[in-house]
Amino acid sequence: MAVDRARWEKGVTYDAFKAGMTRNQERFAENEGRVVLDPETVRTFKSLPQRLRVLVLAEDWCGDVIANLPILGRLAKEAPTLDVRIFYRDQNLDLMERWLNQGKYQSIPVLVFFDQDFRELGHWIERPASVTQRRAAERKKIFAAHPEFGSPDAPVDQLPEDVRGQLQAALQKVREDLVPFANAEVQRELRELATAVAV
Amino acid sequence: MTGRPVKVKITYCAECGYEPQALALTKALMYEFGARLSAIELIPWESGTFVVSVDGDMVHSMKRDGGFPEPHVISAAIRKSIGA
Repeated sequence: MAVDRARWEKGVTYDAFKAGMTRNQERFAENEGRVVLDPETVRTFKSLPQRLRVLVLAEDWCGDVIANLPILGRLAKEAPTLDVRIFYRDQNLDLMERWLNQGKYQSIPVLVFFDQDFRELGHWIERPASVTQRRAAERKKIFAAHPEFGSPDAPVDQLPEDVRGQLQAALQKVREDLVPFANAEVQRELRELATAVAV
Repeated sequence: MTGRPVKVKITYCAECGYEPQALALTKALMYEFGARLSAIELIPWESGTFVVSVDGDMVHSMKRDGGFPEPHVISAAIRKSIGA
């Protein structure tokens, strides 16, 4: 099904999505508060030659949504060239099928940029590959430094509970430490996308 | 009923919203096996994980086997383990 005005209007605004969250509301607000927008990103979006519609597929349980959607939200507040509507993935599987990650995964968030006449200009899925790679590299370092965590490929349920807790804390710390890098990478990719669609 | 009760562990990706699948499997196993299970442990994890083990043996891994497990596959592994 094509996205048209009627379908577009079934999406919720960014603020309505936040208000309707059934979980992770605090984490979302915290992430939103610590987003540092790169002036170049703001400038790029503010100077777009046309107003863009951004269709977002999201769910409030998804870690990548909680991490990355606040960046778009903050950007849209700064750049009135962006009109954001959010669609719950699990209630809009026909839309999800159109923008599968690698053609098969229902990864979110998905950001689809349209012009005012609903012509698709580009899309962005989940998180930058550079962030996935950095996380994997840091994860590898953790396992190398802590033999008690066993093999990175072994099921974690075989670890003693206290060791599993330590591993969980170490992995969470990696994610936290990488937030500034990840946020900068998301902005870089969105900026590149905006530059490409503005041509 | 034969054999000793076995322990089931379900490790699921909380970041991916796999709670419904973990809870559905837990419920199915509770109803089917009752006190023939010593425990069902739910382990919230990350990285797209969905792993089920029965007495320490991995019987399903999303990474290895793809997708979520069919409950009858887990049931069969438990039956084998308890000797039913």
